Amino acid sequence: MGNGTKWAQGVALAVAAVAIAGCGSSGGGGGSTGSAAKPVHLSFWGWAPGYQDSVKAFNASHPNIKVSFQQVTPGSKGGYQKMLTAVKAGNGPCLAQVGYETLPTFVAQGAVTDISSYANGSAGEFTPAAWNGVRVAGKTYGVPVDIGPMAMFYNKQLFSKYHIAVPKTWAQYRAAGLALKKANPAVKLTSGMTDYDFAGFDWQAGAPWYGTSGNTWKVSYNSPAGQKVANYWQSLVSDGLISKAPTYDPTWLSGLANGQIATVVGAVWQAGTLKASKPISGKFAVAPMPQWSAGANVVGNSGGSSTAVLKGCANTQAAWQFAHWMSTDRKSWPNLVTKGGLFPADKSLQSLPVLNAGDPFFGGQKIFQVFKAAAPNVRQGWVWGPGMQAATTSLNDGLNKAWVGKETVPAAISSAQKAIVRELKQQGLSVKS
Amino acid sequence: MGMSAIRSRPGSAGPKIRTGADPLSRAVRVRRLALAVILIGAALYFLAPLWWLFVAASRSLGNQSGTGWWFSGFHLFANLKALVDEQNGVFLHWVANSLLYSGVGAAGATLLSAMAGYALAKYRFRFREALFTAILAAVLVPKMLLATPLYLLFSAVHLTGNRLAFFLPSLVSPFGVYLCRIFAAGAVPDEIIEAARMDGAGELAIFFRIAVRMMTPALVTVFLFNVVDIWNNYLLPTLVLKDSQWPVTVGLGNWFSTKGAVELSNYVIIGAFASLIPLAAVFVFFQRYWRTDLTAGAVK
Amino acid sequence: MPFLVLFLGMYLAPICVAVYKSLFVMHSQGLGLSGGPSTVFKPLANYTRALGDSAFIGAILRVLLFGVVQVPVMLGLATLFALVIDAVSARVRAAFRFAAFLPYVVPGVVAAMIWSLLYSPNPNASSPFFSNGLTLWSVANVVTWTWTGYNMLIIYSALTAIPSEIIEAARVDGASGWRIAWHVKLPMVRSSLILTTVFSIIGTAQLYNEPSILQAVSGGAISSTYTPVMAANNAIHVPDFQYAAALSVILALVVGALSLGFFKLVNRRGPAWG
Repeated sequence: MGNGTKWAQGVALAVAAVAIAGCGSSGGGGGSTGSAAKPVHLSFWGWAPGYQDSVKAFNASHPNIKVSFQQVTPGSKGGYQKMLTAVKAGNGPCLAQVGYETLPTFVAQGAVTDISSYANGSAGEFTPAAWNGVRVAGKTYGVPVDIGPMAMFYNKQLFSKYHIAVPKTWAQYRAAGLALKKANPAVKLTSGMTDYDFAGFDWQAGAPWYGTSGNTWKVSYNSPAGQKVANYWQSLVSDGLISKAPTYDPTWLSGLANGQIATVVGAVWQAGTLKASKPISGKFAVAPMPQWSAGANVVGNSGGSSTAVLKGCANTQAAWQFAHWMSTDRKSWPNLVTKGGLFPADKSLQSLPVLNAGDPFFGGQKIFQVFKAAAPNVRQGWVWGPGMQAATTSLNDGLNKAWVGKETVPAAISSAQKAIVRELKQQGLSVKS
Repeated sequence: MGMSAIRSRPGSAGPKIRTGADPLSRAVRVRRLALAVILIGAALYFLAPLWWLFVAASRSLGNQSGTGWWFSGFHLFANLKALVDEQNGVFLHWVANSLLYSGVGAAGATLLSAMAGYALAKYRFRFREALFTAILAAVLVPKMLLATPLYLLFSAVHLTGNRLAFFLPSLVSPFGVYLCRIFAAGAVPDEIIEAARMDGAGELAIFFRIAVRMMTPALVTVFLFNVVDIWNNYLLPTLVLKDSQWPVTVGLGNWFSTKGAVELSNYVIIGAFASLIPLAAVFVFFQRYWRTDLTAGAVK
Repeated sequence: MPFLVLFLGMYLAPICVAVYKSLFVMHSQGLGLSGGPSTVFKPLANYTRALGDSAFIGAILRVLLFGVVQVPVMLGLATLFALVIDAVSARVRAAFRFAAFLPYVVPGVVAAMIWSLLYSPNPNASSPFFSNGLTLWSVANVVTWTWTGYNMLIIYSALTAIPSEIIEAARVDGASGWRIAWHVKLPMVRSSLILTTVFSIIGTAQLYNEPSILQAVSGGAISSTYTPVMAANNAIHVPDFQYAAALSVILALVVGALSLGFFKLVNRRGPAWG
């Protein structure tokens, strides 16, 4: 094939030329210094609905800095992998949406930049739990955007129909479940939570999964407080109060809609999840998270993320300026509340009028007020470890079985503990259990 | 084997018997019943889940998570309109991207597969079998693993965030090469190639004017499979493309996994249904090219 | 050939990168929070670790069992349907071909999503489809649903290439429709059957979409390391690309050996192609 071969040679030459040209120049970090005439360009990767609008508002009011936002798939669904790969290849963005639970992984991969010198002066602006989330081993790597203080969503029609009081403690919560079951065997108290939602329960109980002592990680899924939580949830499974529907599955939504699942104890953004199902409208209300001891006022946190400055960003100061603005701007924040269902980590923003409005979906209740009251009560002392995605995978394998009764919750926690210690040792880290 | 034989073969073996035997023999009736039972049962199996998707996409917006096999009100068109309006028409933008990638990518992949398959079947050269084995062996490594190295390679040549970064890998279809080799070996007789060479036709001319036409049914198959493969590719485009370049699978996948975003999960069901329509249309359109007598003129 | 250039760039180069990376291990120290981990050249470390990884070995054995059952069932059905549509009127054939093709165009993720709802419609009841013995076959059903039509199309296109003289000759000899199908048509599509078998074996080994979506509704019956590719995907997310690469290389070698073995087995009677 004479002609074909020549053509092939041409293509080969072209490809080789591109390859050589590409190898010759090094990848840029996505940032450059500039003046008012020549603005600084920053790239920003994230996925939360509404971020794009915040970036637009920032660009309109800041002629010196131009941020370009690029949507990526949610972190655990590929977004983090893309960010880490891009940083490794030398063409990562300057800024990235990184969940608090994943920030230590980014630090461990050497993918983020220390911004302590810019950020530490703003520590007091944020809810302590959120600020704690952007600090890893004494350094600050990002600016907190939103947090996920927890509360209890409950089907108020069911509770009033069967004359059951809204539970304030975990003991009452279980009793309420038994009462519901007695009144109507088709009604389950709640569904089984996994990974970061389950972390919220341990968080409230003062059972952090990780800790450090000196230069050693302490893995403590199995701590006494952790076992208390595990045993409690096992008792709910044994009593037959847990639905078999996996949380977030369409059958879960239909179970909530038709009164087969009575409550969801979860973070503020669960409001948005429930709203995906019209038939739930008007049935649910929000009450504070059940407590371990009567009269206490401690909650857990689930989710929330920061804007981290990635390695290779040429203009850390401009990056910090944008990240801080996005987390604290009063004008653009209401959009993040309505579009993304986010709850601000910035304390002063928690008084925004939009967070004081009644929500018709919840029968007109001002649901954000419950979360606003909860935010300062998120328990101190929670620490995230490296490689959370792998860790939660092992945890979920056990919990998924436990929720349908094929294993027990304490056994699931114990095997997760073992798997995670093994995994960290594998990476060469110093670990104690 | 000559193409004339294939061409002259009737589309079905049935009619002759049916028109010839009168009244229908018992054996024929049993046979037809058996065929009907098999076909109807299989069609039900294939279509039932899609029917379910259709019903779910037709429930009023916000009720997509409900279950059931029958409509409670028909809101498909209102839903489709809402889907298209969501986020300033981003869904149609994704569909357009998908059509572009699938259409151009599959056409290119088919052409390359045809050339490679034809060359492997009709030319003798050193390392031919080794090359063919290498092409087949490449399929053994999970594509998921290749995504990260591909990203690194593309970023070395500054192609990340460029549509080419998705196009170029899509052009390579080892399966297409395999299929084309089989078909070229079977459907393009050596005598015809020889005859054309005698007439002074160039190799490229022989390939495009004769071989391609004879291989048409196979090429249509390869094209359709490539369209679907590229359309449904998820991992690579997530990694190498910017959001404005996303195909519809990545866009919908993104909606699906955005927890706490109001209403998006309903659009996933509606969008999943809507995104099947272009693929089904492509199939219906190309199905007619499967008639083997298309190659009729080439052999005489 | 341009194909060759692209093939080298898009397949061989990344495969080489992956194989090369699999020879290294990531190593951190202490808390591992100061800079990135270092990569150390230890060519066998990832491989010995993989061979001692009981979850990974279990996953390989599981897809092996899956393949031994699902591939013959699916291809049996595909062949049956191909023979049937070869014997009906053109209109019925076109309609059925369309129906069989549709599941294939449904993205694997969407297909698994639909089936997960069909399997477990009731929020408060355990789905019988994920009871102990049945889980693997519930996954197999989704795969069969998706790919039977696709394989049918390939086999049918081989049927159309059978010279009609051969069929006519058999009919003149008085052979019935079924006998012609079994003794004449089937042997003539042998190369297509081999082709679809090999590609089905490879597809089975790389099973990922279906089980990972069904995982959510399986009540723990499908673990995160249910199939080898799910295990490799986990490693990528750690992130430990090196280990993922080693897992994939082992998987590719096993599947390659199996495919080669299959070729050897069926190829005593001439080459698989043409």
